Amino acid sequence: MAIEQFQHWYENRHIYQKDWKKRTGGKMIGFFCTYVPEEIYYAFDVLPVRILGSHELQDVTEPHIFAMFCPFCRDVLAQGLKGKYNYLDGITIGQSCIHLRQAYTSWDQHLNPGWSHYLPMPSHVQSPSSVPFLKGEFELLIKKLETLTGKTITDADLEKGIEIMNQVRQTMKKIYEFRKQENPPITGEEAMYMTCSQFFTDAREWLPVAKQVLKELETRKLDRDPGKRLMLVGSENDDIAFINMVEHLGETEAVGATIVIEEHCTTTRYFWDETQEKTDDPLKAIAARYVARTPCPSKDWPKRTRLDRILKFAKDFNVDGAIVLQQKFCDPHEADIPFVKQALEKAGVPTYFLEFDVTTPVGPFSIRVEAFLETLETEDDLFD
Amino acid sequence: MTDKNNQELWRWTESNWANPDINFKKAKYITAGIDVGSVSSQAVVMADGEMLAYGNMRTGSDSPNSARNALNFALKELGADESIINYCIGTGYGRVNVPMADRTLTEIACHARGANYIYGSEVRTVLDVGGQDIKAIKCDEKGKVSNFLMNDKCAAGTGRGMEVFSDLVGVSINEVGDRSLDVEKEPEPVSSTCVVYAKTEATGLLRAGWSTEQVLAAYCRAMAGRIFELIEKIGIEKGFAVTGGMAKNRGVMERLMPMVKLDFMKTKWDTQLAGAAGAALFGNALCKKGKGRKK
Repeated sequence: MAIEQFQHWYENRHIYQKDWKKRTGGKMIGFFCTYVPEEIYYAFDVLPVRILGSHELQDVTEPHIFAMFCPFCRDVLAQGLKGKYNYLDGITIGQSCIHLRQAYTSWDQHLNPGWSHYLPMPSHVQSPSSVPFLKGEFELLIKKLETLTGKTITDADLEKGIEIMNQVRQTMKKIYEFRKQENPPITGEEAMYMTCSQFFTDAREWLPVAKQVLKELETRKLDRDPGKRLMLVGSENDDIAFINMVEHLGETEAVGATIVIEEHCTTTRYFWDETQEKTDDPLKAIAARYVARTPCPSKDWPKRTRLDRILKFAKDFNVDGAIVLQQKFCDPHEADIPFVKQALEKAGVPTYFLEFDVTTPVGPFSIRVEAFLETLETEDDLFD
Repeated sequence: MTDKNNQELWRWTESNWANPDINFKKAKYITAGIDVGSVSSQAVVMADGEMLAYGNMRTGSDSPNSARNALNFALKELGADESIINYCIGTGYGRVNVPMADRTLTEIACHARGANYIYGSEVRTVLDVGGQDIKAIKCDEKGKVSNFLMNDKCAAGTGRGMEVFSDLVGVSINEVGDRSLDVEKEPEPVSSTCVVYAKTEATGLLRAGWSTEQVLAAYCRAMAGRIFELIEKIGIEKGFAVTGGMAKNRGVMERLMPMVKLDFMKTKWDTQLAGAAGAALFGNALCKKGKGRKK
């Protein structure tokens, strides 16, 4: 089954990436946040790969990161400090929050990545001046990429980059359509492997597999009771152990669940919005895409535009409840959570809050999720 | 440390009981609820939804054995064996390891249902202070959960924290609450976010000349504050009941009461039994509806 390839890539990201460099001789840049314009990197034939944590305990980041910064930024920096990414040709970040920026700056300062670029992605994306500002910053990025590659690019190259990323986004959205089914032929765990494996691989190699998966899903039937339909909303999350626990509860307990949609920067916030193709000014089109995409809450003000997207997902994917989660100390999400909970509950979607760390406390979390599922549907037979 | 009877100070008294007023042989359904918590295990046996017997013991390192021991402890007092039980529900942290359970339910559901039984149907907010977690639960007149919150990854303010403390100051856990109230002046509360820091602070207070009672007062007040944070978050409604071992600690409860600004409900039952009682009642309802054990 092609779908298994996503998990294989997720679990073997370093093997794939080292092999890619060997096979192609190409340059590879690690990125820290989804506000990095991958279109421009593909235009240069440079491979952008996202750096996520490994969900393993570590003891190398304490001298570099303030204790009350989030576990995700530490886990990311730990990957660099432990030498797991020594094969990269450089690193980059698009400004989102200061926690992840600290991971980037520490990496840049201590690991000599060769090439690095800090992209000052505007925080006030609701300002009309954000698009021209960002386009100007992209022009500087292009100059910097010229020094990395020794190449110059044309609008046609940018259009090629846009097409690659749009194909990824369209394919992911088509796969997500299957999750709307009563018994989805793809689990939340598999969907998470699908989106994250694209971060780690060359989109041009990921796409044929994803298209094959689309075909497979047309006839695929999963021999499991989907249980309650859950949405996950919140901070960065690729916590497979947690998703796996939720989706296997039904095997041993009276209640079970399937994650049918998420609103995370590892999933829909990353891929849902496309870049306009074939315009007079492709660089401006890319800038417009990153300014208008579903924002990280660090940028979603003064209006909270994410809420509309979240409510639409809840309706379109017919969710029974939502787990609102936050990486411990993730301030942007922490500030948003009361509004997210309020909006969902007003729309009739019950919510439950969980605070995430590098590893999942599976036992304590399973009790909470199970009890939440019990509140979604009380068994009337249990009461006189 | 141990007391004069060689009993470790942190070790609370285990107990069992059988109802002399019920002839279980005449009951239609005998159901059991077994709540294997992180610190204590309870088995409640009910006859047609009425308390028939219970056993309340410390949880050992082995969940299946803890469940079996608690049930045998209850049945021993009744003079019966496991074969009388028509249906059994496992709950608590070790719920999946209750060997005789027909099914499991979370302790959240069971505590709400159990509080409804031991305190009455007026209960709307249940606070369960267990061995390693605190739960604040909202429920309806039937004991159905509508919302709940639990503390995160920290044992401060829980039963286990109190056990550690009783050992540190050398006072039996059964006396901690009363002795903490025997003070005229209290030091500031100790750390409410970490048992280990609280211990360090307490050692400092003892060295500074505060009496054992005063240090106990500082810890009980810190625990009350910690517990209050959680119930304040969920929103307190009239009909406030406390379950779990901490409900028996007057030192914490009497400091919590003015914060909650509500009268605590009273019960004749051991508050540690709520989870197991709720489980046994769910079993009784299932049997009555023909959803009991498949023969």
